[in-house]
Amino acid sequence: MSTYKVKRRDFLKITGLSGASAALAACDMPTTITLEEGEEDVVSYLMPEEYVIPGIGVWYASTCRQCDAACGIIGRVREGRVLKLEGNPQSPINQGALCQIGQAALQVHYNPDRLKQPKIRQGGRLIDASWDEAFDVLKSHIGPDSGIDGSRIAWLSGTVSGHQRVLMDAVSEALGGAGHYAHEILNDTVVDKVNAEVYGSTNIQYKIAEAQVVLSIGADFLSTWGSPVHNSVQYGKFRDAPRGVLIQAEPRMTVTGGSADLWLPVRPGAEGALAMTIAAELVASHGADAKTLPQAVADQLGQYDLASAEEQTGVAADLIEKAADFLATRGPSLVIAGGTAAAHEHGYEAVTAAAMLNVLLGNVGKTIIPVADFPYSALAPKKGDTAQLAAFAKKARAGDISVALITGTNPVYTAPEQLDMVGALNAVKVKIAFAEFIDETSAMADVILPLCSDLESWGTHVASYQTTDAIISLQQPLMEPLYAQTRSLGDVLLAIMKLHNAEQYGPFADYYGYLRNVIAAVPAVAKEGLGDEAYWQAGLQKGMLTVAASAIVSAPLVEAADDAAGNEEAKEMVDNVASEDSFTFALPVYEKDKDFPLRLVPSASSRLGDGRFANLPWLQEAPDAITKIVWNSWVEMHPATALHYGIKQGDIVRVSGEDGSVEAQVYLHKGINKDAIAVPMGQGHTEYGRYASGRGVNPLKMVAVETDSHSGEIALCATRVTVENTGRNEELVKMGGSESQVGRKLVGTITADQLRRV
Amino acid sequence: MTYGLIPEKASQCNSNNVSRFGMVFSLLLLFFAGSAYAQVPNAVAPKGDHDGKHVEQPIEFPHDIHARDNKINCMYCHTYARRGNVAGIPPTSKCMGCHAVIATEKPRIKQLTEYWQKGESPKWKKVHDLPDFVHFNHEKHLNRFIFNNEGMEVERADEVCAFCHGEIKEMTVARKVKPLNMGFCRQCHEDNNGPSDCWKCHK
Repeated sequence: MSTYKVKRRDFLKITGLSGASAALAACDMPTTITLEEGEEDVVSYLMPEEYVIPGIGVWYASTCRQCDAACGIIGRVREGRVLKLEGNPQSPINQGALCQIGQAALQVHYNPDRLKQPKIRQGGRLIDASWDEAFDVLKSHIGPDSGIDGSRIAWLSGTVSGHQRVLMDAVSEALGGAGHYAHEILNDTVVDKVNAEVYGSTNIQYKIAEAQVVLSIGADFLSTWGSPVHNSVQYGKFRDAPRGVLIQAEPRMTVTGGSADLWLPVRPGAEGALAMTIAAELVASHGADAKTLPQAVADQLGQYDLASAEEQTGVAADLIEKAADFLATRGPSLVIAGGTAAAHEHGYEAVTAAAMLNVLLGNVGKTIIPVADFPYSALAPKKGDTAQLAAFAKKARAGDISVALITGTNPVYTAPEQLDMVGALNAVKVKIAFAEFIDETSAMADVILPLCSDLESWGTHVASYQTTDAIISLQQPLMEPLYAQTRSLGDVLLAIMKLHNAEQYGPFADYYGYLRNVIAAVPAVAKEGLGDEAYWQAGLQKGMLTVAASAIVSAPLVEAADDAAGNEEAKEMVDNVASEDSFTFALPVYEKDKDFPLRLVPSASSRLGDGRFANLPWLQEAPDAITKIVWNSWVEMHPATALHYGIKQGDIVRVSGEDGSVEAQVYLHKGINKDAIAVPMGQGHTEYGRYASGRGVNPLKMVAVETDSHSGEIALCATRVTVENTGRNEELVKMGGSESQVGRKLVGTITADQLRRV
Repeated sequence: MTYGLIPEKASQCNSNNVSRFGMVFSLLLLFFAGSAYAQVPNAVAPKGDHDGKHVEQPIEFPHDIHARDNKINCMYCHTYARRGNVAGIPPTSKCMGCHAVIATEKPRIKQLTEYWQKGESPKWKKVHDLPDFVHFNHEKHLNRFIFNNEGMEVERADEVCAFCHGEIKEMTVARKVKPLNMGFCRQCHEDNNGPSDCWKCHK
């Protein structure tokens, strides 16, 4: 063999040939993409707009519908197809930026698993039907002649706002008082409740850019909490010189935690104790005036001090001391709480304790500004939560719901097993879903009416977090619907209303006509001197309509606190807030459960959210910001905890609680509290298309239904679990190479002690 | 002698068997040949031929009647050529702009009117195409050879179009008569001082 010499040139010829034959073999698949003349069709415009030039994109403004932050987007449209989304620079919410989830809205739109045809259940299976056939079924159940009792009909939706909400409410009313249950597993009900009671409004503007030190307790405000893109833009300004200091306290490191100067790995459930310890330290060492606090809180400060801090919170005393020092010496400050801090039985107390820090530091009215509610209450968001879902499930199981109208939520996937959503929905006779995809919930429906994608629909939206003036975000279709048998949610709602009230709703040809008409009815004062058409056109160009400047409201507690020394009336107000039942403020002492010593943190990320983005390959393949893992689930553990259980990186472990268990690979890192174990939410779908289903595990299923004592919200991080090694080990699929320098000293390091000696 | 042969000779001059005098002579020849024969000023037409097949189109559009007999400028219909990457097939509304009144009785116009009334555009077959990894911009080429080209009249745009598309005005439906491959492009870029960075076309 060695005698046969292949010349270099021959070798290249052979490889070239085999390459060509491989390419030819690949040509077996049918394609119209060819350079050969006369093979590919090219169709001209029939009658293009003046400004259309093939190959050159035109940008249209719209609103991102991936979450409820209502970021403004602009979409590049070329040859009638939307190709790229960017943030709208004119939007006061995202100010030109757009997150990866927003970018991936294109993959919702062009997703191959989108529903293209209505479906009707026949003989236990969902069979394709025409729109008219499916709508006739809907009509037979909720039409004017259906004879059904309205109280036995229920909407089950996600957070909904704007005129879609107005029409949903109109449908409820037309049906004679149908209930509306909105569900979001990730919600801020607890925070809203605290804000209303402490600051006097649920509508709070957090002025991150104006602070010099930010303490965030549990709120991953840069990626999953509040209005993340808005917060990120603010954060950029906050980090400009003079550089602000970010302190993050949370059980499991999030993107915000990863950006922090000081990261406090608080034990799950001890966030309130941490806030109280910091407050006590501010009073004890930095001269903060405890009199500004309500009596109920001030009384409890004595229970907290640095000496017992580590035992109570899992955070070393010197770190807490440092945090208090930053807060006291680097004003203006801002304390934000939410997310994992609110997800406990005593989440309310934890968020309140954090709010008390704002009171103590005098931040209210400076970096934390309570503003009036949205002026048009009918358009304001109906925010989803879990308490409403639990109420729906209870009513359904009792047999009191005959028809469920489901859209924009997937409780069969997100709700804990204990809520038994499958059982609840099975008890509902007729389930009508308005959906873009078959997910776990719409798979149980009897009729599915396929919706247009968000990039094909008209709509108006009011952000759950109003960041500046009151604005209505306009959602404008960026292209014609891809599928003829789909309708926008607004059009479906309008069609239902036409059944019930032809006189009022009949004149509107479509949802666009309806919207155009209601916007024309906006009072002239709000139109800033523009004529109706000019106001509408300006709205379309900017992607939003400004309806009112936001009015700052005074926080009762703070007004009172200012005068707490003498003013009796003010003192009374403080006491009122403080003495109400809602303000019992009993923080629990941490107790380790012997059988289930760890707490489960189902972690949210700006990849898969609560699971609704799991069908978007861009987000599946985008590495998790902390672990760099792609396309899979994992279990995050502290190395010390892992050592205790004899677990190493990549081991497949079983995490079990009283309500179920999941198995996934272990990712070890120090960015997690030793008593916490984190499993990301978003994977473990059984339906939801080719990219999502059958991948990873869903930790939400095993969440124990413990509720926050004040709001009734499911405490997502309160589940006690244990962990055991299954004995299997696989390599983690993640981006990023080795975390070790393998002794090559690529970056020189010395210990802190050595440095001090230098 | 066609001027098309000259650059080949010029390139041979680089080899050692041609004297320096020969090289200078050839360059002079190129200069005179260029000025004497080239139709488009400040331009050397690309070289190469391709024997493309006849492509059956939904309507046998007669380029010859439009561009040769009636002297309609190419850019009147292919209006996007000077504005964007692609020249574009004219919108059907453009055809009907004239043919609502002109030659309405001819069978091909009747065919066109039928499409128009149905609200459809004919499904033309693509004749000139480039791979997706090649970025070609009509606008830039038209600016170089027509609009920013001193001594060039817009009325003679067809001579520039012919560089790559051949004498379309002598055809009915278009036929690919130039190779439109990389060598064809590169040679022309060299002759006309076009950009030679890889990423100009492959981006």
